[in-house]
Amino acid sequence: MSNAEQGGLKPPSRSTRIGRMLQPWIRRLALWLFALWCLFPIYWLLTMSLKRQVDAISRKPKFIFQPIWDNYLNVLASGEVWLFFQNSLIVALGTTALSLLLGVPTAYVLARYRFAGNADFGFWILTTRMTPPVAMLIPFFVVYIRSGLFDSHLGLILAHTAITLSIVVWLMKGFFEDLPLELEEAALMDGATHFQAFRQICLPVALPGIAAVAILTFLFSWNEFLFSLVLADRIQTVPVGLYNFVGYQQIRWGELTASAVIMLLPVLLFVFIFQRQLVRGLTLGAIK
Amino acid sequence: MISPARRDRRRFLVLMLAPATVLLLGLTLVPFLVSLAFSFSNLSLVTPDDFAYIWFDNFDRLFRSPEFWNAMRVTVIFTIAAVAVELVLGVGIAALLHYETRAVPALRLIYLLPLAITPVAAVFTFRIMLNPSLGVLNYLVKQVGLPPQDWLGTPGMALMTLVAVDAWQWTPFILLIAAGGLAAMDDEPQEAAQMDGAGPIAIFFHHTLPMLYPYLAVAVVFRSIDAFKTFDIIFVLTGGGPGIATRTLNLLAYKQGLEFLEMGYAAAIAIVMLVATIIFSQAFLRRINMFRPKAAL
Repeated sequence: MSNAEQGGLKPPSRSTRIGRMLQPWIRRLALWLFALWCLFPIYWLLTMSLKRQVDAISRKPKFIFQPIWDNYLNVLASGEVWLFFQNSLIVALGTTALSLLLGVPTAYVLARYRFAGNADFGFWILTTRMTPPVAMLIPFFVVYIRSGLFDSHLGLILAHTAITLSIVVWLMKGFFEDLPLELEEAALMDGATHFQAFRQICLPVALPGIAAVAILTFLFSWNEFLFSLVLADRIQTVPVGLYNFVGYQQIRWGELTASAVIMLLPVLLFVFIFQRQLVRGLTLGAIK
Repeated sequence: MISPARRDRRRFLVLMLAPATVLLLGLTLVPFLVSLAFSFSNLSLVTPDDFAYIWFDNFDRLFRSPEFWNAMRVTVIFTIAAVAVELVLGVGIAALLHYETRAVPALRLIYLLPLAITPVAAVFTFRIMLNPSLGVLNYLVKQVGLPPQDWLGTPGMALMTLVAVDAWQWTPFILLIAAGGLAAMDDEPQEAAQMDGAGPIAIFFHHTLPMLYPYLAVAVVFRSIDAFKTFDIIFVLTGGGPGIATRTLNLLAYKQGLEFLEMGYAAAIAIVMLVATIIFSQAFLRRINMFRPKAAL
Protein backbone atom coordinates (compact mmCIF):
# COMPACT_ATOMS: atom_id res chain seq x y z
CA MET A 1 0.00 0.00 0.00
CA SER A 2 2.94 2.30 0.58
CA ASN A 3 3.49 3.59 -2.95
CA ALA A 4 -0.15 4.48 -3.36
CA GLU A 5 0.05 6.59 -0.24
CA GLN A 6 3.20 8.31 -1.36
CA GLY A 7 1.72 9.13 -4.74
CA GLY A 8 3.86 6.45 -6.39
CA LEU A 9 7.29 6.99 -7.89
CA LYS A 10 6.46 4.60 -10.74
CA PRO A 11 3.06 3.66 -12.10
CA PRO A 12 2.20 0.34 -10.43
CA SER A 13 2.53 -2.66 -12.71
CA ARG A 14 -0.56 -4.28 -14.18
CA SER A 15 -0.39 -7.28 -11.90
CA THR A 16 -0.16 -5.10 -8.81
CA ARG A 17 -3.17 -3.13 -9.90
CA ILE A 18 -5.19 -6.25 -10.56
CA GLY A 19 -3.97 -7.68 -7.29
CA ARG A 20 -5.10 -4.62 -5.45
CA MET A 21 -8.49 -4.53 -7.11
CA LEU A 22 -9.27 -8.16 -6.43
CA GLN A 23 -7.42 -8.72 -3.23
CA PRO A 24 -9.70 -7.62 -0.41
CA TRP A 25 -12.86 -9.47 -1.35
CA ILE A 26 -11.13 -12.52 -2.79
CA ARG A 27 -9.00 -12.75 0.31
CA ARG A 28 -11.98 -12.39 2.57
CA LEU A 29 -13.94 -14.96 0.59
CA ALA A 30 -11.08 -17.45 0.78
CA LEU A 31 -10.64 -16.92 4.51
CA TRP A 32 -14.32 -17.38 5.25
CA LEU A 33 -14.64 -20.39 2.96
CA PHE A 34 -11.84 -21.98 4.93
CA ALA A 35 -13.60 -21.05 8.16
CA LEU A 36 -16.77 -22.66 6.81
CA TRP A 37 -14.80 -25.84 5.99
CA CYS A 38 -13.46 -25.88 9.57
CA LEU A 39 -16.87 -25.29 11.10
CA PHE A 40 -19.15 -27.41 8.94
CA PRO A 41 -18.59 -30.81 10.59
CA ILE A 42 -19.11 -29.29 14.03
CA TYR A 43 -22.23 -27.50 12.83
CA TRP A 44 -23.54 -30.68 11.26
CA LEU A 45 -22.97 -32.66 14.44
CA LEU A 46 -24.94 -30.05 16.33
CA THR A 47 -27.91 -30.14 13.95
CA MET A 48 -27.99 -33.95 13.93
CA SER A 49 -28.25 -33.95 17.70
CA LEU A 50 -31.32 -31.71 17.55
CA LYS A 51 -33.17 -33.75 14.95
CA ARG A 52 -35.86 -36.39 15.23
CA GLN A 53 -34.88 -39.79 13.88
CA VAL A 54 -37.03 -39.27 10.76
CA ASP A 55 -35.35 -35.96 10.03
CA ALA A 56 -31.89 -37.35 10.70
CA ILE A 57 -32.18 -40.19 8.24
CA SER A 58 -34.23 -38.48 5.55
CA ARG A 59 -32.57 -38.97 2.19
CA LYS A 60 -32.74 -35.28 1.55
CA PRO A 61 -30.78 -33.87 4.51
CA LYS A 62 -32.90 -31.28 6.24
CA PHE A 63 -31.31 -27.94 6.82
CA ILE A 64 -34.51 -26.54 8.30
CA PHE A 65 -36.30 -28.63 10.90
CA GLN A 66 -38.06 -28.47 14.24
CA PRO A 67 -35.29 -28.81 16.88
CA ILE A 68 -35.93 -31.18 19.77
CA TRP A 69 -34.11 -31.76 23.04
CA ASP A 70 -35.21 -35.36 23.58
CA ASN A 71 -31.87 -36.78 22.45
CA TYR A 72 -30.05 -34.83 25.12
CA LEU A 73 -32.53 -35.71 27.81
CA ASN A 74 -32.26 -39.42 26.97
CA VAL A 75 -28.47 -39.38 26.99
CA LEU A 76 -28.19 -37.45 30.23
CA ALA A 77 -30.77 -39.67 31.90
CA SER A 78 -28.79 -42.82 31.11
CA GLY A 79 -25.90 -41.47 33.17
CA GLU A 80 -23.12 -43.21 31.26
CA VAL A 81 -21.81 -39.91 29.98
CA TRP A 82 -21.10 -38.77 33.52
CA LEU A 83 -18.89 -41.78 34.08
CA PHE A 84 -16.87 -41.04 30.97
CA PHE A 85 -16.52 -37.45 32.11
CA GLN A 86 -15.36 -38.51 35.52
CA ASN A 87 -12.77 -40.92 34.12
CA SER A 88 -11.43 -38.40 31.63
CA LEU A 89 -11.24 -35.72 34.28
CA ILE A 90 -9.26 -37.88 36.70
CA VAL A 91 -6.89 -39.10 34.00
CA ALA A 92 -6.36 -35.69 32.39
CA LEU A 93 -5.77 -33.88 35.70
CA GLY A 94 -3.40 -36.59 36.89
CA THR A 95 -1.49 -36.54 33.63
CA THR A 96 -1.18 -32.77 33.68
CA ALA A 97 0.12 -32.68 37.23
CA LEU A 98 2.62 -35.48 36.75
CA SER A 99 3.87 -34.22 33.37
CA LEU A 100 4.51 -30.74 34.70
CA LEU A 101 6.12 -31.93 37.90
CA LEU A 102 8.62 -33.97 35.91
CA GLY A 103 8.87 -31.96 32.73
CA VAL A 104 9.36 -28.41 33.96
CA PRO A 105 12.65 -29.00 35.85
CA THR A 106 14.05 -30.96 32.92
CA ALA A 107 13.10 -28.23 30.49
CA TYR A 108 14.68 -25.59 32.70
CA VAL A 109 18.02 -27.37 32.82
CA LEU A 110 17.98 -28.06 29.09
CA ALA A 111 17.27 -24.40 28.37
CA ARG A 112 19.67 -22.86 30.85
CA TYR A 113 22.67 -25.13 31.35
CA ARG A 114 25.36 -26.22 28.98
CA PHE A 115 26.55 -29.70 29.85
CA ALA A 116 27.97 -32.61 27.95
CA GLY A 117 25.22 -34.34 26.04
CA ASN A 118 22.65 -31.57 26.39
CA ALA A 119 21.70 -31.72 22.72
CA ASP A 120 21.62 -35.51 22.64
CA PHE A 121 19.50 -35.61 25.77
CA GLY A 122 17.07 -33.18 24.13
CA PHE A 123 16.92 -35.29 21.02
CA TRP A 124 16.41 -38.45 23.02
CA ILE A 125 13.42 -36.89 24.74
CA LEU A 126 12.04 -36.01 21.35
CA THR A 127 12.49 -39.55 20.03
CA THR A 128 10.12 -40.76 22.72
CA ARG A 129 7.50 -38.84 20.76
CA MET A 130 8.49 -40.50 17.51
CA THR A 131 8.06 -43.99 18.87
CA PRO A 132 5.13 -45.56 17.06
CA PRO A 133 2.39 -46.07 19.64
CA VAL A 134 2.21 -49.79 19.01
CA ALA A 135 5.89 -50.17 19.97
CA MET A 136 4.96 -48.88 23.42
CA LEU A 137 1.49 -50.36 23.57
CA ILE A 138 2.51 -53.98 23.33
CA PRO A 139 4.89 -53.95 26.33
CA PHE A 140 2.49 -51.69 28.23
CA PHE A 141 -0.32 -54.11 27.56
CA VAL A 142 1.68 -57.15 28.65
CA VAL A 143 3.07 -55.46 31.77
CA TYR A 144 -0.25 -53.83 32.72
CA ILE A 145 -2.11 -57.15 32.52
CA ARG A 146 0.43 -58.80 34.83
CA SER A 147 0.88 -55.93 37.30
CA GLY A 148 -2.72 -54.98 37.81
CA LEU A 149 -2.31 -51.55 36.25
CA PHE A 150 -4.64 -52.64 33.46
CA ASP A 151 -7.97 -50.88 33.60
CA SER A 152 -6.91 -48.42 36.31
CA HIS A 153 -6.79 -44.63 36.36
CA LEU A 154 -3.16 -44.71 37.47
CA GLY A 155 -2.23 -46.92 34.53
CA LEU A 156 -3.76 -44.49 32.06
CA ILE A 157 -2.12 -41.51 33.79
CA LEU A 158 1.31 -43.14 33.51
CA ALA A 159 0.78 -44.02 29.86
CA HIS A 160 -0.45 -40.53 28.98
CA THR A 161 2.44 -38.96 30.86
CA ALA A 162 4.87 -41.08 28.87
CA ILE A 163 3.44 -39.67 25.64
CA THR A 164 3.02 -36.03 26.70
CA LEU A 165 6.24 -35.56 28.63
CA SER A 166 8.33 -34.88 25.53
CA ILE A 167 6.00 -32.11 24.41
CA VAL A 168 5.96 -30.58 27.88
CA VAL A 169 9.76 -30.53 27.98
CA TRP A 170 10.15 -29.06 24.51
CA LEU A 171 7.50 -26.39 24.96
CA MET A 172 8.72 -25.37 28.40
CA LYS A 173 12.28 -25.26 27.10
CA GLY A 174 11.11 -22.72 24.52
CA PHE A 175 9.40 -20.64 27.20
CA PHE A 176 12.45 -20.64 29.45
CA GLU A 177 14.73 -19.66 26.58
CA ASP A 178 12.61 -16.58 25.98
CA LEU A 179 13.03 -15.35 29.54
CA PRO A 180 15.95 -13.04 30.31
CA LEU A 181 18.93 -14.66 31.96
CA GLU A 182 20.05 -11.65 33.99
CA LEU A 183 17.86 -12.12 37.06
CA GLU A 184 19.08 -15.64 37.66
CA GLU A 185 22.68 -14.63 37.02
CA ALA A 186 22.34 -11.87 39.56
CA ALA A 187 20.76 -14.24 42.08
CA LEU A 188 23.59 -16.73 41.64
CA MET A 189 26.14 -13.94 42.11
CA ASP A 190 24.40 -13.00 45.33
CA GLY A 191 24.95 -16.51 46.61
CA ALA A 192 21.63 -18.13 45.81
CA THR A 193 21.81 -21.83 45.07
CA HIS A 194 20.92 -23.07 41.59
CA PHE A 195 17.70 -24.45 42.97
CA GLN A 196 16.75 -21.13 44.57
CA ALA A 197 17.42 -19.34 41.30
CA PHE A 198 15.08 -21.77 39.57
CA ARG A 199 12.41 -21.94 42.21
CA GLN A 200 12.28 -18.34 43.40
CA ILE A 201 13.44 -16.29 40.43
CA CYS A 202 12.62 -18.11 37.22
CA LEU A 203 9.53 -20.15 38.06
CA PRO A 204 7.27 -17.24 39.02
CA VAL A 205 8.12 -15.44 35.78
CA ALA A 206 7.48 -18.59 33.78
CA LEU A 207 3.98 -19.11 35.17
CA PRO A 208 2.12 -18.00 32.02
CA GLY A 209 4.13 -20.47 30.00
CA ILE A 210 3.48 -23.21 32.51
CA ALA A 211 -0.23 -22.43 32.36
CA ALA A 212 -0.19 -22.72 28.56
CA VAL A 213 1.59 -26.06 28.68
CA ALA A 214 -0.74 -27.32 31.41
CA ILE A 215 -3.78 -26.48 29.32
CA LEU A 216 -2.34 -28.22 26.31
CA THR A 217 -1.39 -31.32 28.28
CA PHE A 218 -4.88 -31.51 29.73
CA LEU A 219 -6.45 -31.25 26.30
CA PHE A 220 -4.09 -33.82 24.88
CA SER A 221 -4.87 -36.34 27.56
CA TRP A 222 -8.60 -35.61 27.29
CA ASN A 223 -8.53 -36.35 23.55
CA GLU A 224 -6.17 -39.34 23.60
CA PHE A 225 -7.75 -42.45 22.11
CA LEU A 226 -5.46 -45.38 21.35
CA PHE A 227 -3.85 -45.98 24.75
CA SER A 228 -7.10 -45.34 26.57
CA LEU A 229 -8.79 -47.86 24.30
CA VAL A 230 -6.24 -50.64 24.70
CA LEU A 231 -5.09 -50.24 28.31
CA ALA A 232 -8.49 -50.09 29.96
CA ASP A 233 -11.76 -51.90 29.74
CA ARG A 234 -14.36 -50.73 32.21
CA ILE A 235 -12.68 -47.38 32.75
CA GLN A 236 -13.73 -45.61 29.59
CA THR A 237 -12.58 -42.10 28.89
CA VAL A 238 -14.64 -39.76 26.75
CA PRO A 239 -13.16 -40.69 23.34
CA VAL A 240 -13.37 -44.41 24.09
CA GLY A 241 -16.93 -44.11 25.33
CA LEU A 242 -17.81 -42.25 22.19
CA TYR A 243 -16.14 -44.84 20.00
CA ASN A 244 -18.02 -47.63 21.69
CA PHE A 245 -21.29 -45.79 21.12
CA VAL A 246 -20.50 -45.81 17.42
CA GLY A 247 -19.43 -49.43 17.57
CA TYR A 248 -22.89 -50.59 18.57
CA GLN A 249 -23.99 -49.98 14.98
CA GLN A 250 -27.55 -49.34 16.04
CA ILE A 251 -28.13 -46.20 14.12
CA ARG A 252 -29.79 -43.93 16.62
CA TRP A 253 -28.16 -40.88 15.15
CA GLY A 254 -29.83 -38.43 17.46
CA GLU A 255 -28.58 -39.94 20.68
CA LEU A 256 -25.14 -40.68 19.27
CA THR A 257 -24.63 -37.12 18.11
CA ALA A 258 -26.10 -35.69 21.30
CA SER A 259 -23.54 -37.67 23.31
CA ALA A 260 -20.79 -36.42 21.05
CA VAL A 261 -21.89 -32.82 21.55
CA ILE A 262 -22.06 -33.21 25.32
CA MET A 263 -18.58 -34.70 25.36
CA LEU A 264 -17.28 -31.89 23.17
CA LEU A 265 -18.70 -29.12 25.34
CA PRO A 266 -15.79 -29.00 27.81
CA VAL A 267 -13.32 -28.85 24.93
CA LEU A 268 -15.22 -26.04 23.22
CA LEU A 269 -15.40 -24.14 26.49
CA PHE A 270 -11.67 -24.69 26.90
CA VAL A 271 -10.94 -23.31 23.45
CA PHE A 272 -12.99 -20.18 24.10
CA ILE A 273 -11.38 -19.43 27.44
CA PHE A 274 -7.80 -20.37 26.69
CA GLN A 275 -7.42 -19.67 22.99
CA ARG A 276 -4.25 -17.64 23.37
CA GLN A 277 -2.48 -20.29 25.45
CA LEU A 278 -3.70 -23.03 23.13
CA VAL A 279 -2.34 -21.30 20.06
CA ARG A 280 1.05 -21.05 21.72
CA GLY A 281 1.01 -24.61 22.88
CA LEU A 282 -0.39 -26.21 19.76
CA THR A 283 2.15 -24.45 17.58
CA LEU A 284 4.97 -25.65 19.85
CA GLY A 285 5.75 -22.15 21.02
CA ALA A 286 6.25 -20.72 17.53
CA ILE A 287 3.60 -18.09 18.26
CA LYS A 288 4.24 -15.84 21.23
CA MET B 1 39.54 -32.00 42.89
CA ILE B 2 36.15 -30.61 41.94
CA SER B 3 35.33 -27.26 43.47
CA PRO B 4 32.28 -27.14 45.78
CA ALA B 5 30.52 -24.78 43.36
CA ARG B 6 30.92 -27.24 40.53
CA ARG B 7 29.80 -30.07 42.75
CA ASP B 8 26.66 -28.11 43.68
CA ARG B 9 25.98 -27.40 40.06
CA ARG B 10 26.35 -31.02 39.11
CA ARG B 11 24.15 -32.17 41.96
CA PHE B 12 21.52 -29.65 40.91
CA LEU B 13 21.56 -30.85 37.31
CA VAL B 14 21.22 -34.45 38.34
CA LEU B 15 18.35 -33.74 40.72
CA MET B 16 16.49 -31.70 38.11
CA LEU B 17 16.91 -34.21 35.32
CA ALA B 18 16.56 -37.43 37.27
CA PRO B 19 12.77 -37.68 37.77
CA ALA B 20 11.82 -37.20 34.14
CA THR B 21 14.71 -39.34 32.99
CA VAL B 22 13.72 -42.18 35.26
CA LEU B 23 10.12 -41.99 34.14
CA LEU B 24 11.01 -41.79 30.46
CA LEU B 25 13.45 -44.66 30.82
CA GLY B 26 10.83 -46.72 32.58
CA LEU B 27 7.88 -45.80 30.39
CA THR B 28 9.40 -45.40 26.96
CA LEU B 29 12.91 -46.79 26.75
CA VAL B 30 12.21 -50.00 28.64
CA PRO B 31 9.02 -50.68 26.67
CA PHE B 32 10.97 -49.96 23.54
CA LEU B 33 13.69 -52.44 24.50
CA VAL B 34 11.03 -54.96 25.44
CA SER B 35 9.45 -54.40 22.04
CA LEU B 36 12.83 -54.88 20.45
CA ALA B 37 13.24 -58.15 22.31
CA PHE B 38 9.71 -59.22 21.32
CA SER B 39 10.49 -58.43 17.71
CA PHE B 40 13.14 -61.18 17.81
CA SER B 41 10.70 -63.65 19.34
CA ASN B 42 7.60 -65.50 18.32
CA LEU B 43 5.61 -64.17 21.28
CA SER B 44 1.94 -64.69 20.70
CA LEU B 45 -0.71 -64.39 23.37
CA VAL B 46 -2.65 -67.15 21.62
CA THR B 47 0.15 -69.64 22.31
CA PRO B 48 2.19 -67.99 25.08
CA ASP B 49 3.88 -71.26 26.09
CA ASP B 50 5.68 -71.76 22.79
CA PHE B 51 7.80 -68.66 23.41
CA ALA B 52 11.17 -68.76 21.65
CA TYR B 53 13.65 -66.38 20.14
CA ILE B 54 13.52 -66.66 16.39
CA TRP B 55 15.85 -63.71 15.73
CA PHE B 56 15.37 -62.18 12.35
CA ASP B 57 12.58 -64.46 11.21
CA ASN B 58 9.94 -61.81 11.92
CA PHE B 59 11.79 -59.24 9.86
CA ASP B 60 12.40 -61.78 7.13
CA ARG B 61 8.71 -62.64 7.04
CA LEU B 62 7.87 -58.94 7.14
CA PHE B 63 10.09 -57.90 4.26
CA ARG B 64 8.79 -60.76 2.15
CA SER B 65 5.14 -60.06 2.85
CA PRO B 66 3.22 -58.08 0.24
CA GLU B 67 1.00 -56.88 3.09
CA PHE B 68 3.91 -55.03 4.65
CA TRP B 69 4.98 -53.35 1.41
CA ASN B 70 1.41 -52.40 0.71
CA ALA B 71 1.14 -50.87 4.18
CA MET B 72 4.44 -49.06 3.66
CA ARG B 73 3.20 -47.68 0.35
CA VAL B 74 -0.13 -46.57 1.83
CA THR B 75 1.62 -44.95 4.80
CA VAL B 76 4.09 -43.04 2.65
CA ILE B 77 1.42 -41.86 0.21
CA PHE B 78 -0.85 -40.83 3.06
CA THR B 79 1.93 -38.96 4.86
CA ILE B 80 3.25 -37.12 1.81
CA ALA B 81 -0.18 -36.26 0.44
CA ALA B 82 -1.54 -35.08 3.79
CA VAL B 83 1.48 -32.98 4.70
CA ALA B 84 1.67 -31.47 1.20
CA VAL B 85 -1.99 -30.46 1.20
CA GLU B 86 -1.72 -29.08 4.72
CA LEU B 87 1.44 -27.14 3.89
CA VAL B 88 0.10 -25.48 0.76
CA LEU B 89 -3.31 -24.72 2.24
CA GLY B 90 -1.93 -23.68 5.63
CA VAL B 91 0.69 -21.30 4.27
CA GLY B 92 -1.73 -19.88 1.72
CA ILE B 93 -4.43 -19.13 4.29
CA ALA B 94 -1.85 -17.78 6.74
CA ALA B 95 -0.56 -15.37 4.09
CA LEU B 96 -4.09 -14.17 3.38
CA LEU B 97 -4.85 -13.88 7.09
CA HIS B 98 -1.73 -11.77 7.57
CA TYR B 99 -3.20 -8.98 5.42
CA GLU B 100 -6.77 -9.36 6.66
CA THR B 101 -8.12 -6.53 8.75
CA ARG B 102 -11.64 -7.59 9.68
CA ALA B 103 -12.73 -10.19 12.21
CA VAL B 104 -9.26 -11.71 12.55
CA PRO B 105 -9.79 -12.92 16.15
CA ALA B 106 -13.01 -14.68 15.13
CA LEU B 107 -11.31 -16.36 12.19
CA ARG B 108 -8.43 -17.47 14.38
CA LEU B 109 -10.81 -18.95 16.91
CA ILE B 110 -12.63 -20.87 14.19
CA TYR B 111 -9.37 -22.16 12.75
CA LEU B 112 -8.37 -23.42 16.17
CA LEU B 113 -11.38 -25.70 16.50
CA PRO B 114 -10.34 -28.65 14.31
CA LEU B 115 -7.05 -28.87 16.21
CA ALA B 116 -8.53 -28.83 19.66
CA ILE B 117 -11.63 -30.90 19.19
CA THR B 118 -11.61 -34.54 20.30
CA PRO B 119 -10.52 -36.34 17.12
CA VAL B 120 -12.78 -39.32 17.66
CA ALA B 121 -15.83 -37.05 17.86
CA ALA B 122 -14.85 -35.12 14.75
CA VAL B 123 -14.04 -38.22 12.76
CA PHE B 124 -17.29 -39.80 13.85
CA THR B 125 -19.12 -36.78 12.44
CA PHE B 126 -17.26 -37.21 9.18
CA ARG B 127 -18.42 -40.79 9.09
CA ILE B 128 -22.03 -39.63 9.23
CA MET B 129 -21.47 -36.93 6.64
CA LEU B 130 -19.69 -39.30 4.27
CA ASN B 131 -22.36 -42.02 4.42
CA PRO B 132 -23.01 -42.82 0.74
CA SER B 133 -26.81 -42.89 0.88
CA LEU B 134 -27.72 -40.68 3.86
CA GLY B 135 -24.73 -38.38 4.17
CA VAL B 136 -24.95 -34.67 3.58
CA LEU B 137 -21.86 -34.65 1.37
CA ASN B 138 -23.38 -36.77 -1.38
CA TYR B 139 -26.52 -34.67 -1.14
CA LEU B 140 -24.49 -31.52 -1.78
CA VAL B 141 -22.52 -33.22 -4.55
CA LYS B 142 -25.77 -34.19 -6.28
CA GLN B 143 -27.08 -30.65 -5.95
CA VAL B 144 -24.07 -29.41 -7.90
CA GLY B 145 -24.86 -32.01 -10.57
CA LEU B 146 -22.00 -34.42 -9.91
CA PRO B 147 -22.43 -38.17 -9.39
CA PRO B 148 -22.53 -39.29 -5.73
CA GLN B 149 -19.44 -41.10 -4.49
CA ASP B 150 -18.78 -43.99 -2.15
CA TRP B 151 -16.26 -41.91 -0.23
CA LEU B 152 -14.90 -44.62 2.02
CA GLY B 153 -15.89 -47.68 0.03
CA THR B 154 -13.64 -47.50 -3.05
CA PRO B 155 -9.88 -48.00 -2.57
CA GLY B 156 -8.43 -44.89 -4.25
CA MET B 157 -11.21 -42.64 -3.04
CA ALA B 158 -10.96 -43.90 0.54
CA LEU B 159 -7.32 -42.90 0.82
CA MET B 160 -8.07 -39.48 -0.65
CA THR B 161 -10.94 -39.02 1.78
CA LEU B 162 -8.65 -39.88 4.69
CA VAL B 163 -6.13 -37.32 3.45
CA ALA B 164 -8.91 -34.73 3.27
CA VAL B 165 -10.06 -35.48 6.82
CA ASP B 166 -6.47 -35.32 8.08
CA ALA B 167 -6.11 -32.02 6.24
CA TRP B 168 -9.29 -30.80 7.92
CA GLN B 169 -7.84 -31.55 11.32
CA TRP B 170 -4.23 -30.48 10.82
CA THR B 171 -4.08 -27.66 8.25
CA PRO B 172 -4.71 -25.20 11.10
CA PHE B 173 -1.53 -26.44 12.78
CA ILE B 174 0.64 -25.35 9.86
CA LEU B 175 -1.54 -22.28 9.42
CA LEU B 176 -0.98 -21.12 12.99
CA ILE B 177 2.77 -21.72 12.84
CA ALA B 178 3.05 -19.89 9.52
CA ALA B 179 0.92 -17.06 10.90
CA GLY B 180 3.27 -16.83 13.87
CA GLY B 181 6.25 -16.66 11.55
CA LEU B 182 4.62 -13.95 9.48
CA ALA B 183 3.76 -11.91 12.56
CA ALA B 184 7.35 -12.09 13.78
CA MET B 185 8.66 -11.06 10.38
CA ASP B 186 10.04 -7.74 9.31
CA ASP B 187 7.87 -6.36 6.47
CA GLU B 188 10.45 -3.99 5.01
CA PRO B 189 11.92 -6.14 2.22
CA GLN B 190 8.42 -6.81 0.92
CA GLU B 191 7.55 -3.15 0.96
CA ALA B 192 10.75 -2.30 -0.88
CA ALA B 193 9.96 -4.94 -3.50
CA GLN B 194 6.47 -3.55 -3.85
CA MET B 195 7.93 -0.09 -4.44
CA ASP B 196 9.95 -1.61 -7.24
CA GLY B 197 6.74 -2.79 -8.83
CA ALA B 198 6.82 -6.47 -7.90
CA GLY B 199 3.40 -8.15 -7.91
CA PRO B 200 1.96 -9.72 -4.75
CA ILE B 201 2.58 -13.24 -6.01
CA ALA B 202 6.22 -12.54 -6.88
CA ILE B 203 6.73 -10.90 -3.49
CA PHE B 204 5.23 -13.90 -1.76
CA PHE B 205 7.49 -16.42 -3.50
CA HIS B 206 10.71 -14.38 -3.49
CA HIS B 207 10.57 -12.66 -0.14
CA THR B 208 7.91 -13.98 2.21
CA LEU B 209 8.26 -17.70 1.68
CA PRO B 210 12.06 -17.95 2.14
CA MET B 211 11.78 -16.10 5.43
CA LEU B 212 9.18 -18.59 6.62
CA TYR B 213 11.35 -21.64 5.95
CA PRO B 214 12.67 -22.14 9.50
CA TYR B 215 9.12 -22.11 10.92
CA LEU B 216 7.82 -24.38 8.20
CA ALA B 217 10.67 -26.85 8.61
CA VAL B 218 9.73 -27.44 12.25
CA ALA B 219 6.05 -27.67 11.35
CA VAL B 220 6.67 -30.14 8.55
CA VAL B 221 8.91 -32.40 10.65
CA PHE B 222 6.41 -32.62 13.50
CA ARG B 223 3.47 -33.04 11.16
CA SER B 224 5.24 -35.77 9.19
CA ILE B 225 6.14 -37.69 12.33
CA ASP B 226 2.52 -37.57 13.45
CA ALA B 227 0.99 -38.26 10.04
CA PHE B 228 3.24 -41.30 9.70
CA LYS B 229 1.61 -42.83 12.77
CA THR B 230 -1.94 -41.55 12.34
CA PHE B 231 -4.39 -43.81 14.09
CA ASP B 232 -7.73 -42.27 15.13
CA ILE B 233 -8.81 -41.06 11.72
CA ILE B 234 -8.08 -44.26 9.84
CA PHE B 235 -9.25 -46.58 12.59
CA VAL B 236 -12.63 -44.92 12.97
CA LEU B 237 -13.31 -44.09 9.30
CA THR B 238 -12.14 -47.14 7.38
CA GLY B 239 -10.44 -49.48 9.85
CA GLY B 240 -7.88 -49.98 7.09
CA GLY B 241 -10.39 -50.95 4.43
CA PRO B 242 -11.85 -51.40 1.93
CA GLY B 243 -9.76 -54.56 1.89
CA ILE B 244 -6.29 -53.32 2.73
CA ALA B 245 -6.49 -50.11 0.70
CA THR B 246 -5.95 -47.80 3.66
CA ARG B 247 -4.13 -50.13 6.03
CA THR B 248 -1.10 -48.15 7.15
CA LEU B 249 1.87 -49.61 9.02
CA ASN B 250 0.38 -48.45 12.29
CA LEU B 251 -2.91 -50.18 11.59
CA LEU B 252 -1.14 -53.30 10.39
CA ALA B 253 0.87 -53.38 13.62
CA TYR B 254 -2.28 -52.80 15.67
CA LYS B 255 -4.11 -55.60 13.88
CA GLN B 256 -1.26 -58.08 14.18
CA GLY B 257 -0.52 -57.21 17.78
CA LEU B 258 -3.78 -56.41 19.48
CA GLU B 259 -6.30 -58.28 17.37
CA PHE B 260 -4.35 -61.37 16.29
CA LEU B 261 -2.17 -61.09 19.42
CA GLU B 262 0.98 -61.88 17.43
CA MET B 263 3.07 -59.56 19.58
CA GLY B 264 6.44 -60.54 18.16
CA TYR B 265 5.52 -59.86 14.57
CA ALA B 266 3.72 -56.62 15.48
CA ALA B 267 6.74 -55.45 17.45
CA ALA B 268 8.91 -56.00 14.38
CA ILE B 269 6.61 -53.70 12.38
CA ALA B 270 6.80 -51.05 15.09
CA ILE B 271 10.60 -51.25 15.17
CA VAL B 272 10.80 -50.74 11.41
CA MET B 273 8.52 -47.70 11.77
CA LEU B 274 10.61 -46.22 14.52
CA VAL B 275 13.87 -46.64 12.64
CA ALA B 276 12.36 -44.99 9.57
CA THR B 277 11.06 -42.07 11.67
CA ILE B 278 14.34 -41.52 13.47
CA ILE B 279 16.39 -41.51 10.28
CA PHE B 280 14.00 -39.05 8.69
CA SER B 281 13.76 -36.68 11.64
CA GLN B 282 17.47 -36.81 12.54
CA ALA B 283 18.31 -35.68 9.03
CA PHE B 284 15.87 -32.79 9.27
CA LEU B 285 16.19 -31.66 12.85
CA ARG B 286 19.98 -31.64 12.94
CA ARG B 287 19.91 -29.39 9.94
CA ILE B 288 17.59 -26.82 11.43
CA ASN B 289 19.71 -26.89 14.56
CA MET B 290 17.17 -26.58 17.35
CA PHE B 291 19.21 -28.38 19.96
CA ARG B 292 21.80 -25.98 21.31
CA PRO B 293 20.75 -23.90 24.29
CA LYS B 294 20.64 -20.28 23.19
CA ALA B 295 22.04 -18.79 26.39
CA ALA B 296 23.52 -20.64 29.31
CA LEU B 297 24.13 -20.33 33.03
